[in-house]
Amino acid sequence: MKSAFNPFEMAQSQFDKSADILGLDGATRELLRWPLREFHFGIPVHMDDGGVKVFRGFRVQHNDARGPSKGGIRFHPQETIDTVRALAMWMTWKCSVVDIPLGGAKGGVICDPHNLSAREQEQICRGWVRQISRNVGSAVDVPAPDVMTTPQHMLWMLDEFEVIRGAREPGFITGKPVGMGGSLGRTEATGYGLVFALREALRLLGLKVDKTLASVQGFGNVAQYAIRLYLKLGGKVIAVSSWDQADQTAYCFRNETGVDPDALLGITDRFGGIDKEKAAKLGYEILPGDAWIEQNVDILIPSALENQVTGETARKIKDRVKVIAEGANGPTTPEADKVIQERGIFVLPDFLANAGGVTCSYFEQVQSNMNYFWEQDEVLGKLDVKMTSAFHAVADLAKKQKLYMRDAAYVIAVSRVAKACHDRGWV
Amino acid sequence: MTDQAEESALPRFDRRLFDGTEPATRMGDGPVGGKAAGLIRIRDTLASAFPGASPDFEVSIPTMSVATAEHFDRFVEENRLEEVAFSGEPDEVIARAFQDGDLPVDMVGDLRALSDGIHAPLAVRSSSLLEDALERPFAGVYATKMIPNNQPEPDARFRKLAEAVKLVFASTFFRGAQAYRATVEAGPGEEKMAVLLQEVVGRRHGDRYYPDISGVARSYGFYRFGSARPEDGVVLLALGLGKTIVDGGVSWTYSPAHPRASAPFTSTADLLKSTQTEFWAVNMGKPPAYDPVRETEYLVKSSLVEAEKDGTLHFTASTWNTASDRLVAGTGVNGPRVLTFAPLLVHDQYPLNGLVKSLLSACEKAAGGPVEIEFAATLDPRRDPALRLGLLQVRPMVVSTELVDVAASVRPGWRVFLSSDHVMGNGIVEGIRDVVYLPPGRFEASQSRAAAAEIAARNRALLGEGRPYVLIGFGRWGSADPWLGVPVVWGDVAGAKVLVEASRPERGIEMSQGSHFFHNISSFGVSCFSLPQEGPGTLDWAWLESRPAVAETAFVRHVRLSAPLRVEVDGRAGRGIIWRREEET
Repeated sequence: MKSAFNPFEMAQSQFDKSADILGLDGATRELLRWPLREFHFGIPVHMDDGGVKVFRGFRVQHNDARGPSKGGIRFHPQETIDTVRALAMWMTWKCSVVDIPLGGAKGGVICDPHNLSAREQEQICRGWVRQISRNVGSAVDVPAPDVMTTPQHMLWMLDEFEVIRGAREPGFITGKPVGMGGSLGRTEATGYGLVFALREALRLLGLKVDKTLASVQGFGNVAQYAIRLYLKLGGKVIAVSSWDQADQTAYCFRNETGVDPDALLGITDRFGGIDKEKAAKLGYEILPGDAWIEQNVDILIPSALENQVTGETARKIKDRVKVIAEGANGPTTPEADKVIQERGIFVLPDFLANAGGVTCSYFEQVQSNMNYFWEQDEVLGKLDVKMTSAFHAVADLAKKQKLYMRDAAYVIAVSRVAKACHDRGWV
Repeated sequence: MTDQAEESALPRFDRRLFDGTEPATRMGDGPVGGKAAGLIRIRDTLASAFPGASPDFEVSIPTMSVATAEHFDRFVEENRLEEVAFSGEPDEVIARAFQDGDLPVDMVGDLRALSDGIHAPLAVRSSSLLEDALERPFAGVYATKMIPNNQPEPDARFRKLAEAVKLVFASTFFRGAQAYRATVEAGPGEEKMAVLLQEVVGRRHGDRYYPDISGVARSYGFYRFGSARPEDGVVLLALGLGKTIVDGGVSWTYSPAHPRASAPFTSTADLLKSTQTEFWAVNMGKPPAYDPVRETEYLVKSSLVEAEKDGTLHFTASTWNTASDRLVAGTGVNGPRVLTFAPLLVHDQYPLNGLVKSLLSACEKAAGGPVEIEFAATLDPRRDPALRLGLLQVRPMVVSTELVDVAASVRPGWRVFLSSDHVMGNGIVEGIRDVVYLPPGRFEASQSRAAAAEIAARNRALLGEGRPYVLIGFGRWGSADPWLGVPVVWGDVAGAKVLVEASRPERGIEMSQGSHFFHNISSFGVSCFSLPQEGPGTLDWAWLESRPAVAETAFVRHVRLSAPLRVEVDGRAGRGIIWRREEET
């Protein structure tokens, strides 16, 4: 019987591949294949119905050799420790590839916020902090929002942490609202960061942005801001796909004359789904959800879910496509990678392309630690510089060593972390 | 070649300014504007005019990167600044609104990288698209900001750079700029601005950074110098930043064909009073009071005593030997220093004049007509070569070649209203019926700023009615120093067809002869009449004062004549007459 997909095994196998390329020694491999620390705990919550329920919480700190760990907190009913482990490891590589002085971590609580009152959610947040407060903090491990967690959740966590510490510690957590320790530019950061890297990729390939067409999967925060900046640079998006909550399926919205993100946003529900009828009235063709990948464009931007570009769907990619910029985490399967590599399509791997978010979180933490906040153009300027130099470091290595972009990104990220472990004398 | 084509000729900014391989780059994909386009065009000319390395000098275009005009469009649009831009609010209100805007996201990365990489002073200059499209000079119309860029923190350097860029953007909508555009009949939304980020030519001396010499040279000059002909051109030199010259301050003017000719001063004392005594430098020291909307926020004015301490007078000054009442080139003896540039111009210690002549000639050849150039140079004998000249700007000049003879002093049916032997310009203008002037009995130098504001208001009204006029005032038009003249900018007087600089008995100020507005004057066919205290020249004040006023304010009187004036200027002789009809009594 075929075993279920285990993201941690996948993360380990990706690491093993880059460890082989780098020729890492056994001890370093062993250290980096596993998290440094894991915390599993129960969070008792007095529920609104008078009962008490114990939620399971985790925090996994994969590696902090390069700096305090950084990673989100997920509220998800199907959360598993292996998912959290894999995500913590990917955070280590993501922080490393953009060269910010942070390690990787991830946390979570097995729960479904849709079925919890605000008070219950607050109790979970405060309980999570009470359990882990000795092992997190601005110099230790810095949490952030992730799946189904919001700036409000972060504020509750921060408040609890500050009560325990008896001091204001805005650098403990990121993703806070602007004005309450949050950073300007954070909302745009992931999408914009993706386009900064994409812009450099197009320059490298000798393509002019204003001569390119793109198709985007997803219409969430990352996709929206990526589309906006790409349009500003002169590009044209002709298709966007989004999830329809009522129909429980995705649709692709195509307009050959160009997608207008503002118009689409005006007909989008709270789940991020675009209204089909209204879109049709605006002149959009409504196509099946996976049609985004079949468009005759230069750039594909998968920014929705993992496992979207598979060995099967990769074959539908048109010859015109030159670049795939991965806004989502893990949108491309290893089988698809083989197809893409054979076809010579340039890939901006996920943990490089979507690293703008964590980079801006790092900026937020720096600002919070100083209690001095920058203007938006200052934040975005730094973000651009970080993303651009990270892209060129990876692209240079890929060219020099004739590596696939994803492998080159891994090699850079893993080698930096391995070096930090060596320099500290751990291995 | 259009500046859009120029843009494609420039490589993209690779995020290294001084240690990159390209001396000229661009940020963005849009047009680069007139100033940048002029420099790009001249690059090849310089390479062929000055091939190989010379042991005596080096000529180059300072390293630069152009933020193209697409950023300007986006900045105005994304920050919704159109309303305030055309609101008619004072310049400072517009400038502050622009400071509150966020620069476009695809621009800030390049600016940030530039701030991360360099610590040397930068000049942030406007590069207007209309200037190129209309082939008109936009000299002094928009802001230029110099920043020391030496703060230890890259964040602080980025902040200051961003502020300077926003000020240059805002200056597109300043009152003077809008009035200027009205004179070239450009619509309110037609102008777009690229921004030139350029290395400042100079050397650091303690808290000051400045060039040993800055200059403006014109290959054609309606400016009389002994035996000099207009086609010999004219050169203005100053110590320190070129702001001294651009603002119409006191500089050393000479003909490049006759660099050794004595300046037209009656005595050494006169010379001492009429030569440069202060200079501009970039302030590299203690941060000044925060004022991002002031062009001179990071500039400092210093005296020649400071320059002597810096060692920058050695090749630029002469010394007045009081015992013999003679000027001695250089600073070898004690005595008051006078900025005559004699060690260079008379004694040829370094080949500055030859270099300027070659540059003018090469640029003129490339432009296919007369040109004006701006340059700055450093002179450091410890370096090899000692003389390094940076070309900052090249503009084609519009020169009237009409032959006018104003020798006759009698014209049947006409009377002389005004005549002078110190006139800049050329040609005949008819049809002017409006005269705006500062009545001599009322004007006080201490009130020249207030007078400037009144003149600007009158100018706006006359521009709106499409009526050209003669403007008469005291001292140097456009002087930044209100004690030397009326501190108007070109936009304040842009509707005038004739500028008259009269002198007052109690103040012996050297006339500018239109030098501040030279480029505008030559392009728009404006004449500048100077009436020095001594020498030929008349102005019929009594007749003028007897005309009924159509408008009168505290310092300004406006009369409208029933019959038009006739203006005749012989540019070759530097002579001009304004005639009035006899019946206009």
